Amino acid sequence: MIDQLPIINMIMFLVLALAIPFLRKVSFRLTLILGFVVLGLVTVSSVFILTDVMASGPILYRLGGHERLIGIELEVDLIAALISLFILGLALVIYIYSTGDATEGIEEREYARYYILFFILMFSLFGMVYANDLFNNYVFMEIMSITTCSIISIKRKKDTYTSAFRYVMLNEIGSLSFLFGVALLYMATGFTNITLLQQALSTLWPAYSANVIIALGFMLVGLGIKAAIFPFHIWLPDAHASAPSTSSAILSGIVIKIYLFVMIKVLFKVFGLRILDDLNISAALIAIGSLGMIFGSLFAIAQKDIKRLLGYSSIAQVGYIVLGIGLFSELGLAASVFHIFSHGMMKSALFLSVGIVVFQTKRRKIADFAGLGQQLPLSMGVFGIAALAMIGLPLTSGFISKLTLGVAALDHNQGYLIVIVILSSLLGVIYYLPILVSAFLKRIPEDAARPHLEKVPRPMIAAIVILALAIIVFGVFPNWILDIIEQAVATLGLPA
Amino acid sequence: MKIIESIMENINYVGAIALFLIGLHTVVTHRNLIKRVLGVNIMGTGVLLFFTSIGNVAGGEPPIFIPGSVPGIFVNPLPSVFILTGIVVVVSITVYSLSLVVRIHEAYGTIDQQEITEMIKEEEYHD
Repeated sequence: MIDQLPIINMIMFLVLALAIPFLRKVSFRLTLILGFVVLGLVTVSSVFILTDVMASGPILYRLGGHERLIGIELEVDLIAALISLFILGLALVIYIYSTGDATEGIEEREYARYYILFFILMFSLFGMVYANDLFNNYVFMEIMSITTCSIISIKRKKDTYTSAFRYVMLNEIGSLSFLFGVALLYMATGFTNITLLQQALSTLWPAYSANVIIALGFMLVGLGIKAAIFPFHIWLPDAHASAPSTSSAILSGIVIKIYLFVMIKVLFKVFGLRILDDLNISAALIAIGSLGMIFGSLFAIAQKDIKRLLGYSSIAQVGYIVLGIGLFSELGLAASVFHIFSHGMMKSALFLSVGIVVFQTKRRKIADFAGLGQQLPLSMGVFGIAALAMIGLPLTSGFISKLTLGVAALDHNQGYLIVIVILSSLLGVIYYLPILVSAFLKRIPEDAARPHLEKVPRPMIAAIVILALAIIVFGVFPNWILDIIEQAVATLGLPA
Repeated sequence: MKIIESIMENINYVGAIALFLIGLHTVVTHRNLIKRVLGVNIMGTGVLLFFTSIGNVAGGEPPIFIPGSVPGIFVNPLPSVFILTGIVVVVSITVYSLSLVVRIHEAYGTIDQQEITEMIKEEEYHD
């Protein structure tokens, strides 16, 4: 029974997405409750999957019972089980938030469509995490491209259309590059199944080196565009700034992280360490990651719009994750996976609390944040906690991920990387701290015109408070999750 | 002459890569949004051509088994199946991006990237 759960999870999302249009006649509340039930059920089954995987190894499921060579295979190993739980956790919080005010800028009759897109997106996310087949990964990637672009362009505003168009074009270049890489690997080996590919590539590597090198290049560039790794990041700030707040949180917290997870899968499960070491991919990833950390932060300093600032900060944070992957050690990868979790929480908290501020004051320029700390203590408080976590203050999850990354860099005899991590954190101080200072400490004259505040629905507040608590819990008690992550990373066969 | 011979032998791969590059060039450099959508299509065609031509076996027959006949050499059917999925995907992306172009035309009255960028800059300046 337990090996059926992965496919049941995916089918539940798909069926719900297809059922929503038929619920148009009944109250919208029913749709919301159904969505909640499905997310809850999938969470329960994912917890079951995690405990089962921890006890008895990866779960394999073959669709239609066909063998590996021609069939579709799902494989849930420990990392996949962890990542799927992380997606669910964040998705639940974002879902709770979105029930408060579906999202700014979406017309009321579009709400149902927004949830259709949301659940198809969840379906493709789970597909990408579970799929043990590169071509399936490509198909889910394309489903994800359309749904992510649509949850940006669902807001009927001019600038969302242009940024969604740019996003869909770059996304398409990325996925077609990835498909080209898959085709080159298929040409050399005749497989798209990841397990079979790994076995074949380890013996074929010297004979088909041209194919393998070009394929690796195409796949890394394709995933790099989609994960907004530094030189390919140009679509991200526009897309994040113009999207509704919940969409920005999904995009920044979950979507780009999943592409990074696929990158981990491609690097370590398909190609394997020997090929990567021969090609010296490690140095390239470390260089790209460091450049992203520095330049993302530098661009962020220059921004006037708060959501664009958060977008550029995401580029810097993706740099940390790439750096951790590039160290090619167990601790480095563990740091990356932990940072995937902690950045997902921090960035969602930031986007959602900014979403409340925008909802209440209808302003989004950084200059308008002056004195807001007294007016909106709760949402600015959560913003403050998340921003301090981004900078890497102790007792927050951001500190733990930076500490682990630093230790991993030292283990790898690359102590100079710590300087880059610290430098990037200091740049983070430059763009986050002034917002906090002006929000909490700046005195505004009593007679100054204060923005008119709208009442906030309770679910929105509840969602951001949960995120803030999670950031602190992960920061104070990181060991239980780090232990599981290290156990998961150990299955990839990296040097300690 | 040897170069020409090897190109002729691998004309399918050369064509696929040429299509991919032409498409990429169109997406990245053209100002007209519809031409950029076309560029994505051309890129997609290049990749799909590459994939199908991998599966071709010289002198192979279509992989259809007829009872009573002696099976000869079959063409690998798997890449063709991949490509069917790929075609559907490219079509849906095209439909989505064309509908975005329609919305952009409604909002800005033009589908020229440069004019749109100038309009956005002007709006930001007035903000």
